[in-house]
Amino acid sequence: MRPILSLALLVAAAAQAAPPRFPPSAVVLAQAEEAPSVPGPGAETSVPPPPARPPEPKPEVPRAPTSRPEPTVPTEAAKAPRVEPALAPMDDAQDEQPVVSEPVPERDVDAPVTPDDAPVLASSDEAPRTTDVQEQRLVNGAPLYNPNVSLHIVQKKRFADESKHELALYPAVVQVNGKYTNHAGTALHYSYHLQENFAVQVTGQYNWHTNESDFNLELIDKVREQAQAASSLLLVWGAQAGVEVTPLYGKFAFLDDKLAQFSLVLSGGAGVGSTRHLIRPEVANEVDGQRYNVPARFGGTGNKFLGSVGGGFRLQFGESYALRLEVRDLIYTARVDKVDGCNLADFEQLEAARASGQEFGSLPLSSSCKYEKFDGVDPKTKKNYREDIILGRDLVAEPSSDVLNNISFYAGFSFLF
Amino acid sequence: MNARTLRVFAALLVWLAATGAAAQDDEAVLDNVVVRNRLYEPGGHLEVSLGVGLPVQSNLTAHYFFTAGVAYNLFNTFAVEARAGYAASRHTGLARSISESFLAREDKRVTDELEDLWEMNLHGVAGIRWAPIYGKLSLVSDLPAHFQAYVWAGGGVGSFQRNSVIQCSQVVDRELGVCDNRTSLEDRGSASENYWVRETRVAPVVSAAVGFRFFILDKHGVRLELRDWVFRDNYRVNLVRDDWEAGRVTGDVASSPGLTHLVQFDLGYTFSF
Repeated sequence: MRPILSLALLVAAAAQAAPPRFPPSAVVLAQAEEAPSVPGPGAETSVPPPPARPPEPKPEVPRAPTSRPEPTVPTEAAKAPRVEPALAPMDDAQDEQPVVSEPVPERDVDAPVTPDDAPVLASSDEAPRTTDVQEQRLVNGAPLYNPNVSLHIVQKKRFADESKHELALYPAVVQVNGKYTNHAGTALHYSYHLQENFAVQVTGQYNWHTNESDFNLELIDKVREQAQAASSLLLVWGAQAGVEVTPLYGKFAFLDDKLAQFSLVLSGGAGVGSTRHLIRPEVANEVDGQRYNVPARFGGTGNKFLGSVGGGFRLQFGESYALRLEVRDLIYTARVDKVDGCNLADFEQLEAARASGQEFGSLPLSSSCKYEKFDGVDPKTKKNYREDIILGRDLVAEPSSDVLNNISFYAGFSFLF
Repeated sequence: MNARTLRVFAALLVWLAATGAAAQDDEAVLDNVVVRNRLYEPGGHLEVSLGVGLPVQSNLTAHYFFTAGVAYNLFNTFAVEARAGYAASRHTGLARSISESFLAREDKRVTDELEDLWEMNLHGVAGIRWAPIYGKLSLVSDLPAHFQAYVWAGGGVGSFQRNSVIQCSQVVDRELGVCDNRTSLEDRGSASENYWVRETRVAPVVSAAVGFRFFILDKHGVRLELRDWVFRDNYRVNLVRDDWEAGRVTGDVASSPGLTHLVQFDLGYTFSF
């Protein structure tokens, strides 16, 4: 890319050798008046400005009156307020008095009229970039010379991120690809920006709502089908460390009134997450003519390796606040061969003991099996936990494995300090 | 002493206020340069568009949208648009798996139809597009991109079809879950007709979208959009297996079937006149 661009620039420079072109004065103005700013990532001038040279007369092109004073003419134009007519959009500029017309003492009738929106010089000690009034004319608020004004976009970054800490809170993290599962939670990110567009990050997330999707429950109810246990594994919490890069930077206006700066953020990380699986959905339990609502029951399926990739926008408001809208894919491997620490052999023993009314404590179960969770009666709902043994056994009867993609939308705000 | 101090203090205040105001003006001017300097102003222009949409999530059905649209930009930020297109639709592998296994499930003699099984095909909508955000970004070095972010809302009508995965009116092979006229039991592709209960209808549809339009050169643009098509579901409940396998209409219409959402990611091209 670079060689091609260089070649193109070389050709362009040769073609422009006769009528020398200079950077638009509007750009110079912006640079001269702006506070020191941080270059945006990948922000480079589209065309490097050629060195300033004294303007050469171009008889074939209409230009400003020769009586126009030399560079020192618009000394007042160096003041900030004088910048506005040169950079404002055409509509605004048309209402302004022509800036360049003031110093013209006498106008030749045949001389071309200086447009109202011709840009002015940045300062008295700077040579004019071009004397061609047509090239100085504003089109869509930008000099005809370079209507794109890319310098304004990519070079001015008002807020530097480097060496800053960023604490982001995502009150709402909602799963968007919930085929068999639904997740909703809250996440907290801490980032340290090592460089302007590179940060290290630690993330914590807790899902305060995890359940199987209505679709999965519908399949169970209507066609006696359900997702494999590994495919409907639920993520309770996750902790990760990773990096975040901001390869793109831009600005936008909301209804022309509010300016916001945004960055495209890409992130990746790895860590660990705690999972569980639905054993029994919420049911109604009727005992002695009285009806109890028994909440859904979940069984722990252990901690799993967790990875993530994501991307989104960071909209910065002021120096210290930002709104973050991101989509992240939490990827975790899932193999379900134990529920609450009990494997298939444990469940077989528990089921046999339940049928014979035997105590669970004397059974030769694996050390990880939390058999207490499948024993006893809930005093509130009168639900006998032993009835859940068969459901737990079904989950591990055919050990399943899957790689799950939990894609969630993150909406939050961050504080930079 | 006090008078002098006051004078100095007042002068300092005036100077600070003036400096602050000047800085504010300067900042406002410079900011507005970026804001107002729209390279592309679609207001007053007609535009046409073509788009391809892919499903974001597919449970039982998958849709692939092909749409064409015409829009008129009343202002830079506001446009009216009409879109029409066709969605190529199919059952997902999960739906096929359910249909094949359910034929052999004798323990479920009475059941309800599954939700969200309608497939949209031909459709046309008209709506408004509000693009309050105009921005620029540097995609790669030397290439600034101008874009609009917009929201879209509208409504129209669509044609729909529904192929049941439960009701097979002519079971060919229950164990293998065959409900079509395939010539070879193992070759699903050899079937030219299936016997699953099929329904069609034309129904109103509502659509909403959020998206970006990136301007390219003077008249061209690329559109990235997330769109939701919403229509009312309609299915039957309390179906009796003996009835549907005998080819009889069975069950009742669900009283509150809810809404079906088809969410798609749309990639489009726009041309402005």
